[in-house]
Amino acid sequence: MVLKRLGHPHLGLGVGLRTIHFDYILQNHPAVDWFEVISENFMDSRGRPRYVLEKIAERYPVVMHGVSLSIGSTDPLNFEYLGKLKALAKDIRPLWISDHVCWTGVVGRNSHDLLPMPLTEASLKHVAERIRTVQDFLERPFVLENPSTYVGFTGSTLSEWEFIGRMAEQADCGLLLDVNNVYVSSVNHDFDPEEFIRSVPHERVVQFHLAGHTNCQTHLIDTHDNHVADPVWKLYRLAHQLTGGVSTLLEWDAKIPPFPVLHAEVLKAKQHIGTELADQRMADLPIEPEPAELGGAGGVDRFQEESAVPHPLHHTMAQVA
Amino acid sequence: MSTREVPSGSDQVNRLQRWFQAVITHADGVDSGAGSQEAQRLIRLGPGQLERVITRSRALTAAERLAIYANAYHTRLLECLGEVFPMLKRTLGDEAFDGFAFGYLQEYPSRSYTLNELGRHFPRYLEDTRPAADCTEPDLSRAGSSAEAADEWPNFLIDLAHLEWAIYEVFDGPGVEGQTLLWAGQILNLQPEQWPEARLEPVPCLQLLATRFPVNDYYTKLRKVKGNEYVPIPSSHNSFVAFSRRDFVVRRYNLSGTEFELLRAIQQGMPVGRAIEYAAQASSDSMDQLASNLKLWFRNWTVEGFFQRVKFVGYND
Repeated sequence: MVLKRLGHPHLGLGVGLRTIHFDYILQNHPAVDWFEVISENFMDSRGRPRYVLEKIAERYPVVMHGVSLSIGSTDPLNFEYLGKLKALAKDIRPLWISDHVCWTGVVGRNSHDLLPMPLTEASLKHVAERIRTVQDFLERPFVLENPSTYVGFTGSTLSEWEFIGRMAEQADCGLLLDVNNVYVSSVNHDFDPEEFIRSVPHERVVQFHLAGHTNCQTHLIDTHDNHVADPVWKLYRLAHQLTGGVSTLLEWDAKIPPFPVLHAEVLKAKQHIGTELADQRMADLPIEPEPAELGGAGGVDRFQEESAVPHPLHHTMAQVA
Repeated sequence: MSTREVPSGSDQVNRLQRWFQAVITHADGVDSGAGSQEAQRLIRLGPGQLERVITRSRALTAAERLAIYANAYHTRLLECLGEVFPMLKRTLGDEAFDGFAFGYLQEYPSRSYTLNELGRHFPRYLEDTRPAADCTEPDLSRAGSSAEAADEWPNFLIDLAHLEWAIYEVFDGPGVEGQTLLWAGQILNLQPEQWPEARLEPVPCLQLLATRFPVNDYYTKLRKVKGNEYVPIPSSHNSFVAFSRRDFVVRRYNLSGTEFELLRAIQQGMPVGRAIEYAAQASSDSMDQLASNLKLWFRNWTVEGFFQRVKFVGYND
């Protein structure tokens, strides 16, 4: 018997903490429900980023979200990294810690990208074993997110939702269901995003991610630089219904707007949860546009000719007098 | 999913990952990456055979799909380096900076879990490769000859890179916010007989930098101008800067050569008396000049918060 959300609380509607908003948050204490922080930006910090995080953690619920665990890599797990992650968690007391179902590099290198796993029995076994090791080390359940992906492997034998669902069961971990990533990957790999949402073990979903993406006509890229697209809101609604509602977080990592705009974007989630008006409006929206139609699909599905860059891009920006 | 170019079993994932990384991080693109010795050793493919490993989508070939990752890899890291070295990038221009940064990434690919470490070896890379003057458009009219210009321009860029990396390190390194620091009277009231045993403990965020160009002043001027407004490249002369941090903001403080030597000696742990002797030997200032400057310097340095405390320890400790 798995506890709903692995026993974690439903934190409401939160946003990703970004450097550009530090001053605004400290001065205005906006009524946002919770913050998600990028673990790597704080685990070594002995300057302002760490100071700001401690101030925010005193006032708001905080969750730690990593980008460099590289749980799927065939390099050995980096226990120096894990030790710092654990130490940060001891200080900040996050509600949970998450990262991605991906690898970021091998033979000692880090691409700083969320690279795709081959969806095979061998990689499933590999990832599940490593999650268990990480959970033992951190002495808490871990939460894993489905990334956006842009390639598939001919050797893959499992669907992504089958891989993630079995991984969660075998490793006894939580899931961070990134609804935008489901949509982006569904277009890039031509699968039904609703089937993905319907198939994952809902009781293990601890958190949702929302974000904007970029439409490159032939594919979508998870750029985190825009408003949430309408088809993603529709999937979010479905995911909310199936899970009974979990903590929801908006990520915005490039062309970052002022904090009130960011906050207003995640508050739109309220319109998509359980009202007849939203039901009617969302029922009219296409959920999986044909690639040829991508430029026109969805109210805010941005079209872009030039090459877009998937995020995350997370590093510290210095402040100089 | 019918074609299996990678073996099943325990090494399947490892081989595929090493191949994938070799392909998407190759300097000359995906096709060259797939044809590279490293990639071929892992998965042997002929030209146009990427789709034996990577599926195509309805709209993109396998190579086009891999190129999304290849483009993202380089673009993301170049963008990051540009933000760590913003004034160097403005000085060089986007194209030249990205060219150097691209070469750097081939020599020093990231091996850290954090992007905050990405630029650590960039100044050293510039020292090793010494960017050529003809790659850029500097105003080197003050340099007497093209040979001189070719020699000076890389030194200026290297100095600027060292300055920007020092700023980056001080910003997120250890600091003393919220702590009580040494005040001027605690130093100025030291009796001469106490100097041999008095050591000043510098704050952990104090960094010292000696450069061949006054890049600190150049940095200040360039930050103040907007857009593409031009700031002349200064003539070379030995310059010295101290970096510290107050209220989590990096502060820069120009030093004379003698100040630099004195602070360096203090930072190395020399007692005050010995540090002054050391600085005096390295300085062209007269002892009278030095004596009259010391009071001012220590006052200014304590105002800047350079020291945490005075420690009295045996001379040989």
